[in-house]
Amino acid sequence: MADDHHVLPKDTLFKVFGGLIVLTIITVAVTYVPLGPLNVPVAIAIATAKAALVVLFFMALKYDNPVNALTFTIGIIMVVVFITFTLFDTAFRGDLGNVSSQTVEEIEREQKEAQEQMDQLSPEDLRVAPADYPDQRGAESGSVEPSGGGDENEQ
Amino acid sequence: MATETETAPAPTTTDEGHDHHPDHLQHHFVSSQQQFDSAKLGMWLFLITEVLLFSGMFVAYAVYRQWHPEAFVEASATLNTMFGTINTIVLLTSSLTVALSIHYIQTDQIKKCVYNLGATVLLAGGFMVIKYFEYMAKFEHGVYPGGLFDPHGAHYEHLAQIPYAPQFFSIYFVMTGIHGAHVLIGMAVIGWVAVRAWQGAYSHEYYTPVELTGLYWHLVDIVWIFLFPMLYLI
Repeated sequence: MADDHHVLPKDTLFKVFGGLIVLTIITVAVTYVPLGPLNVPVAIAIATAKAALVVLFFMALKYDNPVNALTFTIGIIMVVVFITFTLFDTAFRGDLGNVSSQTVEEIEREQKEAQEQMDQLSPEDLRVAPADYPDQRGAESGSVEPSGGGDENEQ
Repeated sequence: MATETETAPAPTTTDEGHDHHPDHLQHHFVSSQQQFDSAKLGMWLFLITEVLLFSGMFVAYAVYRQWHPEAFVEASATLNTMFGTINTIVLLTSSLTVALSIHYIQTDQIKKCVYNLGATVLLAGGFMVIKYFEYMAKFEHGVYPGGLFDPHGAHYEHLAQIPYAPQFFSIYFVMTGIHGAHVLIGMAVIGWVAVRAWQGAYSHEYYTPVELTGLYWHLVDIVWIFLFPMLYLI
């Protein structure tokens, strides 16, 4: 019969209720403290603690037939898998947009070859700007200045 | 699990008919204990399907929040933390009264059990009334779910400039709406159980409906325990 059912003493129920209220106050109070990235984990941790109190004592899973606890635990594991594995996808979308079809070894070898080619070049091969030709500067500037003066005269 | 009580009350096999069964015991169960355990396992299985129903929405929340955290922080700041906190305490108290009602029926204090079930219905009603005022305050300012989203008024105007704010409110209305539906169903079921208890249908020997309804109500409370920080606080 029902005689062997665990009757939770009122005392325990009120204590658990007190714990739940305290945790509610804490979770509201914590929002006034800037925790940065910890805001979300702290809120979820407090909610989990509250849910655990309800499940273990109000729902009496702690004193219950273990098969009920097994059922519940398997379900919760599935929920965790559901959330975690969905986030594995959605949280990292786009991170692989710049992938190369080459292997790391191939990329490193190409970089090394390019570096070696660069090392073989002499400074003269790399000259592009007028400033790269310091020895010819005097001759060029001498020829440019008169033409500038000529423009002003025409106006 | 196999206790001596399971086999004890089965003297009917040699007798004719079922006259010696307790009224509540159905033919296909060996004992009241077995019937109670089966019903409870069935309830836990149902509760897990409920958890999975809500977890789909929790996943939607997690994905969209991870994609647009700023929008969620801004939008959630427009919710009334005061109402949310009061509603949390109301629901926690209703969980306590349901747990007490089970304590009282287990100890054959029928009246106290009924009073606590009644208090639970009243607290659930209080929760819905507060929720109603919250919803109305949103609707008045054009804060609707989905494509109807058109926020106006000093408190909500800035939401129009936040790209993904409507996503938050769609999730808010769907999650609190489905949770609210569970509260309404809970009120109906608890009310019915209270009436049956008043009529003397339950005692310490048979109180399965009270126990199972209590489990359901605690689950509704647990869902809110998570919804409250997710929607109002962070």
